[in-house]
This record gives sequence, structure tokens and C-alpha cells, in this order.
Amino acid sequence: MDILVSSLFAGLLIGMVLAMMALGLTIIFGVMDIVNFAHGEFLMVGMYTGLLTAQATGMEPLLTLPIAAVAGFLLGIICYFGFIKFVIRGPMVAQLLGTFGLMIFLRNLALLFFGAEDRAIHHGILVGKSFELGMGVIAPATKLAAAALSVIAFWVVWMVINRTKIGKALTATSLNAQGARYMGISTERMNALAWGIGGGTVTIAGALLVNFWSVNPFMGLLFTMIAFAIVALGGFGSVPGAFFAGLVVGIITEIPGIWDFFTFLFNFDWMADVPMTSLKYMWVYLAYFVIMVVRPRGLFGWKR
Amino acid sequence: MALLEVHNLTKYFGGLKANEDISFSMKEEELVGLIGPNGAGKTTLFNCIAGLHPLTSGKIIFNRHDITELKDYEVARLGLARTFQIYIASGDMTVVENIMVGCFMRTRSRSQAKARAEQIMKDFKMHDLSDYILSELPVASQKQVTIAAAVGTDPKMLLLDEVAAGLNPSEIEEIMATIRHIHHKMEITVMLIEHVMELVMNISDRVIVLDSGQKIADGNPETIAKDPNVVKAYLGERYVQEHAAELT
Amino acid sequence: MEALKNALDFSDFPRLDMIIAGAIGGLLVIFPATPHSAFAMVTMIQFLMFSLYGMGWNTIGGYGGQVDLGKAQYVGIGAFTTAVLMIRWDIPFWVSMPIGVCFAVVWSFIIGYPLFRLKGHYFAIATIATSLVLKDIFEVWDFVGAARGLEISPIKYIPPDFLRLIFREDIYYYYVILGFFFLGILYVNWFRKSRLGFQLRSIRDNEEVSKSLGINVHWAKIKTYAIATSFVSVVGSFHACYIKNIEPEDTMSLEISILIALMAMLGGAGSLWGPIIGAGILIPLKSYLKEWLGARAGLIGIDLIIYGAIIMLVSAVEPRGIWGIVEKVRRRKRN
Repeated sequence: MDILVSSLFAGLLIGMVLAMMALGLTIIFGVMDIVNFAHGEFLMVGMYTGLLTAQATGMEPLLTLPIAAVAGFLLGIICYFGFIKFVIRGPMVAQLLGTFGLMIFLRNLALLFFGAEDRAIHHGILVGKSFELGMGVIAPATKLAAAALSVIAFWVVWMVINRTKIGKALTATSLNAQGARYMGISTERMNALAWGIGGGTVTIAGALLVNFWSVNPFMGLLFTMIAFAIVALGGFGSVPGAFFAGLVVGIITEIPGIWDFFTFLFNFDWMADVPMTSLKYMWVYLAYFVIMVVRPRGLFGWKR
Repeated sequence: MALLEVHNLTKYFGGLKANEDISFSMKEEELVGLIGPNGAGKTTLFNCIAGLHPLTSGKIIFNRHDITELKDYEVARLGLARTFQIYIASGDMTVVENIMVGCFMRTRSRSQAKARAEQIMKDFKMHDLSDYILSELPVASQKQVTIAAAVGTDPKMLLLDEVAAGLNPSEIEEIMATIRHIHHKMEITVMLIEHVMELVMNISDRVIVLDSGQKIADGNPETIAKDPNVVKAYLGERYVQEHAAELT
Repeated sequence: MEALKNALDFSDFPRLDMIIAGAIGGLLVIFPATPHSAFAMVTMIQFLMFSLYGMGWNTIGGYGGQVDLGKAQYVGIGAFTTAVLMIRWDIPFWVSMPIGVCFAVVWSFIIGYPLFRLKGHYFAIATIATSLVLKDIFEVWDFVGAARGLEISPIKYIPPDFLRLIFREDIYYYYVILGFFFLGILYVNWFRKSRLGFQLRSIRDNEEVSKSLGINVHWAKIKTYAIATSFVSVVGSFHACYIKNIEPEDTMSLEISILIALMAMLGGAGSLWGPIIGAGILIPLKSYLKEWLGARAGLIGIDLIIYGAIIMLVSAVEPRGIWGIVEKVRRRKRN
């Protein structure tokens, strides 16, 4: 029973961080209808930014968030004005392959600069500490902090989008760009802003993630696919959708633990042989596929 | 013998009533015009008949087949073809290739499809446009091509949706000639949605009028033009009252 | 019979094109007789392989306009079928290759049916998802060697073995793949003139209109997808016999899928020569970049950085690829 509860809890924790990561993707999609295949690479950039800033300055890793956010924001804006802007004029093939090119480009650029080895954060006040929460659940302090900060960041973004003028302008453009233009809202500016916010949020998620997940240049794709699954489930373009879907997907990644629980419960030999741990992301990809075929709108989305 | 029978066709989009209890029938080789103010439900009616939308209720019988439940490509294969009102020309297919797509519905052979397409181009007097791609052509020619492609499927009946929209008078003349050719020479039954009155009234054997989703009139052009319900739908109640003497 | 005529009939191409194509074809045939390095030979074989991959992709991705980024899974199906059948039961290539195609086609129907309910980028992401799922399964499946993969050890056989496609010199492999290459061209030439080819192009332009002309769009896409997977599977089987050492990470990765799509996209999706042009540029580029910049550069991925930059450039500037530019220029001259 302990395994089940702790797996579920771990799933929720990681889910909150994953939700944060997927938030950027859903915002960009909502405003511009373009899918960013390089999304995982943005995450990776955020992770490296957090890692290197913390290592270079000896700063407390969790405080590197603002720096990562700024870096991500700039990255998003540069990508938009330097590249995306041109690609959206073309047919969809071009858009797909364009952001793919960006993905390959960023990934190998990182390989060039940072080398292929895994790196992780090893210092900071929370490393190595954990809290016992009863029912056998032991939560590492870093994960707890990351989850908590994710939720806060989510809430901030939600407030910005719903309560500020600029946030509403963003929503207006995503609902009807032409109509928004008639009201004086520049689509170009909103697009750039979407990419900026998208980039900023995902790098924050990266800076949080690197506290308990090591980074290497190749991890982008996995997270891009996870982000897609989250956005598909939550509904393309929906911010609350991204949050709840993130939790669900987080739990999916804990399937090995849940499987162990059921193996224990039902005691079938064959169950122990299934290499669930190696397959755990496969469930995420399958989830994406099934969702898109069965309920393309996702939980809260309006776009299909 | 009725080629097309529509019985009590009703189509709701959620709460919006697009077509309500519409019934009519068409004989072979009739040319029927479908008119009515904007939003009356004309295109929706076409879409329902052609199998694009499932009906909320009602029945459609075409050439003795019940086509109510059939999908759009199945309806086309039974010999009921259609064109679209808005058609954004894209892609790199030439005129002859576009028409061949239609012809391929009846044959697997490229040479046969090509031969038929070329015959149609000759009949429509479009032969010199054969190798242009659609986006290079003026709107009137594009429309001719889409009609030609639909005719390529060798249909018994053709639904034309506002083919004259946006055309100047001489282009309208050309389209009318094409429609006459389809109707008389190729013996295809035609139903057309039109706003251009001189086209519809001149060419139709019969006219059906829709307003707010319902059929409000069905008769020959002269009678329709004087029908107070029809005039009211277009020009309003006041006009009808003021001109009551001229109307039957 | 008309199908055969269609396959052999290139008359709708301008004479200049056919002369150039003929010349290149001739060069390809005599290439092994010319002085060349072993490295050049390997590059040429890769070029032919990727041209074929690209041609297969082009049917559904180019003519059909459905951008498929999950082709690598079929490379895997072809390669592993051939490898497993050879290693375990000594089944020759010419038998295992068609079997691989059967598996590939069956799998393509299974996932194609739900897959083609999606469109655009949702479709593309779904193709990636399915490819990754299959790769993950192969990586834990001991029957196909799991992550270690399989190795066809040539010592067991006596080269040159035409049945099992085991040769010592690359020249044999070259002519085998060249044969497939020419057959592939003939097939695509038939395809683009066939009813299915026309249906696909019509679907790419406008699905609703296509349906109104009697085309069962869903089914047409699935059929074409099966054709594309067959191409890829055949070359995958060849790959197993040529490289002899296959593992899921190499043969079924996303990089392979992207490369395949890229061949056609760069050269001109939706045209007969496009994938060949694309492969003709990208494969030598990749090989020689690695060679000049040194193997170390390959490790740090400079070749891929340039690749990425090229993809970005092409997609931003001329999404229709090189052949698209050629056609545009020709059209303008004609008008």
C-alpha cells in the first residue's frame, strides 16, 4: 500500500513541475496555432542556465529561477523574431520541419558547448533533505520545493493572463487574431509575447527540474513528447487544462511504482517480469495517441 | 419518375435550426433554382443532400436509393455531384489534372480519365487553359474548372452552389452557357443555388424558395416572382403591403 | 499493362530533365568502375538508400501532404525481421524482405486507421509517438535483441552470397541497392500517374472537394501510407544485411525519421526527383562534414548543427524545396 501512495504522491509532485513545463507550449499554441518541437530544448536550456548560474556563483539553486526566466524569455523572443516569424507564413510542413530544425540546432549546440555528460546540482540547502509525510511517503525536499514553486508560478501566470490588460490581449489574439487587431492589439507583438512567456515558463520549470534531475543535451525530445501529451490531454490552449493534465501525466510516469503495487497485490509471476521502468515513458506516448484519437479536445480545450 | 425526393428534411446545429421540414422532389432533366435570402439554409440543404451533414430527421431518396445515411463520397459515387461556394485554389494541380480527379471516379485507367477530361474541356471551351494551375487563373475560370471536375464524375445530378458569385456580366453569360450545356447536351439534372436573379429566373424550369430554414414557395419563375411570401422574405412586409396591387 | 506503360513513360517531363536524369543514371551505373575511395562508395550506397527512403515518404508526405515523422519504425520492422529470420532460421534476404514488408504493412494498417483521423501537426506528433512506442518496445524485447540489438556475423556464410545478401565487397551491395533505386523510380512514376496518386494530390489540395468527387479520403491515405511503409521496410531489410549490426537506437530513432522526411522536403516534396535531389545534397554533406571536421566533430554534433540550420533555412525561405524553386522559375518563364 505504501508503494502505491508514495508513487501517487511522487507522481503528483513531478506532475506539477511537468505541468509548468507544458504551460509554455499551450500558451504558444493558443495564441499562434504553431507547435514548437523545440520545446524540450528550451527546457534543457533552462536547466543548464539554472545549473551553471548556481555553480558559477555558488548561489542557492532555487534562487536562480528569475535568471532562468529571463534567459527563457529572451530565447523565446529571439526565436520568434529571428525565425518563427518567417516560418509561419509558409505551409504547415514548413512549420513542423522548421521547429524541428530548431530542435536539432539547439540540441547539438548544447552538445558543443556543454559536452554529452550528465550534470546535476549537488549543493543547496535542500539537497539531501527529505520530509516524512506519513503512510510511508518520503518526499525529498528538493522535489517538494520544486512542486510548490511550480504551483506558485502557475498561479502567477494564470493571474497575469486573466487579470492584467496584457494577459487579456493575449487571450484575445488567441481567440480571434483578426478581431483583436481591430481593437488595436498587434498580433505580431502578441506572438512575440507568447513566445517570450512560453520560453520563460519552461526555463523556470527547467531550473526547478535540474535540482533533482540531471541534464544532458539529448533529453529534450522526451520532455517535448511529455509536454505534448499534457497539452493534448488538458486541451490545446488551456492553462488550467495544462495543470490538471500535468498531474495526470506525472502519475503516468510513476507507473512502475503503481505496477509494483499491483504485482504485489495480485501476485502473478509474469507481472514481475515486465520491464515497466524502461517502458514508463512509452505510456506517455501511448496516452497522447489515445487521447488524440478518442477525445481530441482534451479536458478543457476549445481547439482541436 | 422522381430522381430526387426530399422528405421532411430537418437539420439542427445544436440549438440552431438550419433546415426545417423541407420536402420537394425533382424529375430527371429538370433544372431547379434554389433561392432565398442570406442565411435561409440553402447551402445547408445542399450539404445535407450531398451527405456532408447527417440529418436531424427526414429522408432523402436519390435514383431510388435511400441516401439519408450515406457519407459524402458515397453519395458522389451514386451519381450526385456538387460544387462548393467558397473554394480556395491551392496546390499545384493543373486544370486537366483537376478534371481528371473527377473522371477517376469512374475509371482506373489514366488514359481514359485523360481522354474524358479533354472531352469535357473541349465542351466547356477551356482547352487552352489545360496546363495552368488554378491559382494562375481568374475566378470565373476557376469556377468553370470545379464544375468540370464535378461533371467528370459522370453524375446524373449536379448541385451548383452560387457559381455566379463575384462574376461580371460577360462571365455570367459564359457560366450560363456552361450550365445550359450540362443541362441540355449532357442531360444532367441540375439544382442551383443563386443570388444572381437574372441567371436563375432565366434558366430554371422551376424555383424553390427558402426563408429562415423553411420552404416557402415552389413553382415556375414567373409565379415565384409575384408570390407575396417570396417578396416579403426579400424585401420585407412593408414592401408587400405597398405593392399589394401588383402581386397576386 | 497500362500500369507498366505508365511506369516507363516519362514523356510528360521536359526533354532537358530526361537528358540530365539519363546522364545521372548512366553515371550511377558506371560509378563502381571509376576510381573512387571506399568512403565514396559507402556514401553512394547511403545516398541510394536514403533516396529510396525519401521516395517512399514522398508518396504520403509529399503527394499526400501528410507530414509523417515516424518512418523510422518501419526501418526497424524491415531490418529486424530480416535479421531475426536470418540469424535464427537462416532465411535468405529475398524471402525475409517480403515478410518484413508484410509485417510493416500490417502494422501500418493497424495504426493507420486511427492515425489518419488526425490532421496537420496533431498527425505529425502522433506519428512520432507511435514510432517511439515501437522503439521502446524493441528496446526491451529480447527476441529482437533488446537494446543491444542483433548482429549478423558474416563468418557463418561464404560470400558472395546472393541469396542472403552477404558480400565482402561493397560493389555488390551497390548494384543491389541501385537496382532497387531504379525500380523505386519506376514505381513512383507509376504512382503519380495512377488513380491513387491523383486522389492523394487532390486530398492535399482540398479534402472536402475530394470527397465530393467520390474519393474515400481516409482509405486513400491509409493505402498510400502502406505503400510508403513498404518502401521503407525494403530498404530497412537491405540495411540489416549491409550494416549487419543493428540496434533500435540506431535504426529506429527520431533522427532517422527526420532525415527521411528531410530528403523529400529539401529536394521538393510531391515531385518525382525531389527526394533524390534532397538525398543527393544531404547525404554527401553529412558524410563529408564528418570527414573534414573529423570524427570528433561528429561527436560534438557540428554536422547536425549545420543540418538543423539548413532545415530552418529551407522551411523559412522555400518550403517547397529545390524542385519547387525549379518549377516556379519554369512557370514564370512560361507565362
